Amino acid sequence: MFYKRLLCTQTSVRHHPHPNQWPIKQVTKSNFSKELEELKTHISSSDFVAVSLQKTGGCSVPWQRILPFDTADTAYLKAKTAAERFQILQFSVCPFSIKDSKLIAHPYNFHLFPRDELKVGLPSYSFSCQSSYLTSMAKQGFDFNECIYNGISYLSRAQETATKVQIGNMSHNSYMVKSSSVHSVADSVFMERIKSRVKSWTNACKTSNKTEDALISSLRKLILGSELHGSRPCLNIDVCSERQIQLALETLKEFVDVVPLRVPVKGGGMQAVRVVLTSSKEDKILFEKELQNKEEEQNKRVRGFREVIDLISASQKPILAHNSLNDFAFIYSKFLTSLPPTMDDFRISLHLIFPHIIDVNHLMKEIGPFEKINNIPAAISYLKNRFFAPVDMEIPNQGEANINNIHGNNVLKICQLFVKLCTILKISSEVSEGDGIQLSPSLQCHANKFTPCSNSSEEPIDKDVGIWTGNNRRVGINNLVFMWGFEGGISANKLKGLLHDSHEVFSQEYDIRMVDKTCAVVVFWNPGFSELFLSTMDSARVISDKLKDLISGGLRVTGYETYKKVCEKSGLRRSNLAQCLDEALEEETEIFLEAKSREEQSLIYWNNDETINLEEL
Amino acid sequence: MTKQTLVRALTKFQTLTRSLCTSAATSDAALKNVTKSNFEPVLAELRRVVRESDFVSIDLEMTGLTSAPWRECFEFDRPDIQYLKVKDSAEKFAVVQFGVCPFRWDQLNNSFIAHPHNFYIFPRQEIQGDGLSYEFLCQTSSMEFLAKYKFDFNACIYEGISYLSRSQEEEALRRLDSVYKDELVDPSSNLREVAETELVRMADILYAERMKNKISDWRAGLLRDRNCGSDFQESSVDMNQKFRTTFFKLRPALAVDGLTSRQLRLIKLVTEKHFKDLAYVHVTGEPSGLQPLIVYTDSIEDRDMLMREVKACRRKEEEMKIKAAVGFRHVLDLLSSERKLIVGHNCFLDLAHIYRKFFGPLPLTAEEFVSAVQKYFPYIIDTKVMLNSNDVLLRIMKRGSTSLSKAFHLLCSQPPATLTSSGLPNAPRVKVEVQVDDQRFSNWNSGAKHEAGYDAFMTGSIFAKACCHLGIDFNPDVPTVDLLHDEKLQKYVNHLYLSWVNENIIDLKTGKIAAESLGSTNNKRQNLKILFQNMVLLWGLTSKVRAKEFRDCLLKVYGTGSVTSIYHLDDTAAFVQFSKAEFVSKFLELKDNLERVNDPISILHPLSKLLEAGCVCAADYEIYKEICSSPISELLFTDQVEAIGLKLKTRLELAIEIKRQEEYKINSFHFCEDRKDMDPETNATGTHSSCHFPGDELVDSLFPVEARMSK
Repeated sequence: MFYKRLLCTQTSVRHHPHPNQWPIKQVTKSNFSKELEELKTHISSSDFVAVSLQKTGGCSVPWQRILPFDTADTAYLKAKTAAERFQILQFSVCPFSIKDSKLIAHPYNFHLFPRDELKVGLPSYSFSCQSSYLTSMAKQGFDFNECIYNGISYLSRAQETATKVQIGNMSHNSYMVKSSSVHSVADSVFMERIKSRVKSWTNACKTSNKTEDALISSLRKLILGSELHGSRPCLNIDVCSERQIQLALETLKEFVDVVPLRVPVKGGGMQAVRVVLTSSKEDKILFEKELQNKEEEQNKRVRGFREVIDLISASQKPILAHNSLNDFAFIYSKFLTSLPPTMDDFRISLHLIFPHIIDVNHLMKEIGPFEKINNIPAAISYLKNRFFAPVDMEIPNQGEANINNIHGNNVLKICQLFVKLCTILKISSEVSEGDGIQLSPSLQCHANKFTPCSNSSEEPIDKDVGIWTGNNRRVGINNLVFMWGFEGGISANKLKGLLHDSHEVFSQEYDIRMVDKTCAVVVFWNPGFSELFLSTMDSARVISDKLKDLISGGLRVTGYETYKKVCEKSGLRRSNLAQCLDEALEEETEIFLEAKSREEQSLIYWNNDETINLEEL
Repeated sequence: MTKQTLVRALTKFQTLTRSLCTSAATSDAALKNVTKSNFEPVLAELRRVVRESDFVSIDLEMTGLTSAPWRECFEFDRPDIQYLKVKDSAEKFAVVQFGVCPFRWDQLNNSFIAHPHNFYIFPRQEIQGDGLSYEFLCQTSSMEFLAKYKFDFNACIYEGISYLSRSQEEEALRRLDSVYKDELVDPSSNLREVAETELVRMADILYAERMKNKISDWRAGLLRDRNCGSDFQESSVDMNQKFRTTFFKLRPALAVDGLTSRQLRLIKLVTEKHFKDLAYVHVTGEPSGLQPLIVYTDSIEDRDMLMREVKACRRKEEEMKIKAAVGFRHVLDLLSSERKLIVGHNCFLDLAHIYRKFFGPLPLTAEEFVSAVQKYFPYIIDTKVMLNSNDVLLRIMKRGSTSLSKAFHLLCSQPPATLTSSGLPNAPRVKVEVQVDDQRFSNWNSGAKHEAGYDAFMTGSIFAKACCHLGIDFNPDVPTVDLLHDEKLQKYVNHLYLSWVNENIIDLKTGKIAAESLGSTNNKRQNLKILFQNMVLLWGLTSKVRAKEFRDCLLKVYGTGSVTSIYHLDDTAAFVQFSKAEFVSKFLELKDNLERVNDPISILHPLSKLLEAGCVCAADYEIYKEICSSPISELLFTDQVEAIGLKLKTRLELAIEIKRQEEYKINSFHFCEDRKDMDPETNATGTHSSCHFPGDELVDSLFPVEARMSK
């Protein structure tokens, strides 16, 4: 115990007063609901919301980083793998506005931990950590105990729907009853029956209040199936489908003094609609309010931190992030639902939830398209050295926030960087709130760009990729060949030396980039050369002795398609690229062989027919 | 004034109480926590303590146990699968705390002296290597469990001791070898390479030229000095701040400071290109990292010698770094080299972790694993095995749970008064005293349950008491205890629970796995006989199609009593055990047929309704092993099968295809024979092989595994 205390003090000493110290509100389980209310008002009064995540890992193998030669699709697949594997420990949110070139920010830093609050095995069974990520968090003085003991938990939207069934709460949905279009005869009969049943029940309830003697009224109630919901009488209507629920709710709209409730059954499915009779209009309002409060309380417990995501989404405010593809893949998979298989699906469904996402890294590329500026501090110092764009920042009303706490100041840097970039690029940061949120046209054209590598304005360019970060020369993915099976740890230059003279394609211009220690990507600048080279390697045609040597030494090649396939198979991507490509190729051959064996089968069937014919003769 | 004195008095009082606490030989005292800051001295002390000890108890805290719900231990897991599950766990999760507690029999005190150590360890990456060994999984529920017992995650991540396994160390040294071998063989190779690539930009060329002049000035100055033997000091000053003259290995040298890496690269280039007698080297400087130096040498031979020397030096440093990164493994090396008796509580998983983290990758089978473990740890005793295998101990445990804390409570913390009053006056007693640093405690309780150090202490105490109950004599007359060769212990040595759920005990010496306990009459669990060859694995089950429906349906098809039991893996998968093994293949065939053929009979078949959705798959028990051995861990079993992928699916289908082909083969042979009878004139030799399934053998030979699986 004594030792622990000692350690704790060490931790607090470790925070050096930082030159730019900003008060950032630190939010854990204990102050969550209080701060949530505050955040709500800040979001609605601000123009933008900046977000920044601190994760337990990024990519475990070098080639899984998003590389310049990744297309939007493969980049997304890589981001997806990371998002599904790692966990968010800190989520900083900062609603901010720009008023008279002054940045007014309200930074919050939420500590998250996927604790199983509801004892249903959610939100996550397990998650991966990379020790390097944890170590670098430790260097910033992150308090892991605080995070794990008191972090806020959450459920994604999909998980919430799934648990509603498991927890078996009654829900009162007023929002989803829409007059459905066509009713079949059976529907009408069903509705009529409900109507008459509810009518006679309400009548019975009302009259029984007055004169009937107790026995008869209770008998009547028994026969009508009346029960009590709290202090109010209620009636359960059995239904057997979602359709019938809709019909029942629609019918019940005609009754002014009843409130319908959906009663789920533990383990799945809706089994009944409960009709609660209220005594008057006031009583009905009271009851509905009661229900709403109860539901909200329940939701807060279930959704946890996701409330913040829902708030941001509902506000439809433009969101700022750095490396938005990675961050939003995380947000989507942790707080919404499982990630779709392709970039396009992801883009579309994300757009419905967050209509305006602005990536400051993308904006940076407008200024220095070929610079290797991939982190926020580097970007800020880059701008500082080249442009004069001071940002005046004000953080109001953060009374009790601890100045010494630097966690979450990345989100403020994103805000600053954005304001600087707007000034430099002469982008109007005005946001009009007419019919939905409208960005200024100069900003709108930078919204929803996910891959930092794609500079062109049309997003799905896909076919052309870069090779090096500091180089704008682009090439079609068909001109790329992946090569492995050489001595590990070789340099690109040495490999070039090996390949020299081995094949005619290497007499023309080509480049080699090492992807990791085991695999290189070869770029043929002459169109058609890659196909030529691949087909040479595939066939047993006459090849130079040098190439023969290399092949017998284990050299293998493949096109971009195989790489794509490797990226799709998230589970097997835990080793070096050479091994992954090998496995993918092996699978291809297996499929090929299977197809072949199918062919042979058809032959067999044919033979079989023949034998029968022979016998019949 | 008064206030101040009061405060002072209070603090005095506090210090007094604290000192009282520590010296008092009673209540809770600090556990010996070890982090990287005090690791070195503790290790030195531990070496001595372990050497003197009679046995060492261990305990581990991990970040998780199972990577998916279906990876938990089930009663229907065959021993090889139990091992695969343990292996998966040890490969994925990290060890965050390691308790080591050496026990020594102290004749003078007539008691055991325990030295509990609580090591915080963390897989921090100290040297370069593959990133994968530094990634680990956390099971949320385990983290919550650790948090509940106030585990100090900060201590672990900030201050945890890192480690390298033996195989990681070998790998790192090998890598070092290859790096330095390359350079030594061909020192000119990099030079040429660099010369080709650099000097493209105008700025670079200009800078290089300036540096060339500067260096040549310096060199000229040196030569002049040497000739005149004076003015040395002056020449060193006239360079600007970034260059200063020093000495390196008795040679004059120019130290370069405060330049960017690109500038340094250019300087290196210029030096190597234009000055035959100058060598550009990096040496480990005092203030920060590497210090670049340009060293003057007498000749080319001298230069090469210097380069070699520097390289050897650097290599040595790298080697030292690797040696330093071994970290916590020194403790395991110590335990292994001392060949002490290791005591754990239900410690098979612990051993798997130890092997994986500190020795090397886990072997594929349990037999190989245990024989490898024996090499490092020849004597291991599991207290859980002891408690469950001896009738006396079982009686003390009241035939209930043998969890660590309960066992400790029942065996070790009974006050002496109750012992005498309980009618067991002769109950053997053994005292355990605890020594932390230089203090002794006779009734030590750190109060920290589930701290590895305390758990290790509990395990060791249980072992000591259990030995007593087994009749091993600890008394002042005996100078030393020889536990390793005590015949009363022999039957427990090197017997561990492979899986506690199944009570399968593995003999580390032979690798044999037995389901019965070691000679006690404890048969509380009358297990249903599980016959693996009678089982069918079903997956793709949904809330609509449950295993129960399948059972009802199967009972209809194969008659009552055909299905003996159903075991659930999770919501999406289950095992069905048939009464006879032949039902397995029958069922798989039937299922396949129903899915393919669309005639009225199969549509009316009771199974069809369940298979209609088309998502329920089935296979025999072997598939389960294959799925468990995959490194992937999806949450749901059905997703897992899908993630393992196409391979498996095609393989399954192929297996069925091959089977079908074999049937056709049999049928058509039949036809052929008929035909031969009918028409003896026909040249039968050709028809036999050529007309029937030429592809058959090809497929068979290509997929020997699949062919075997289909049988």
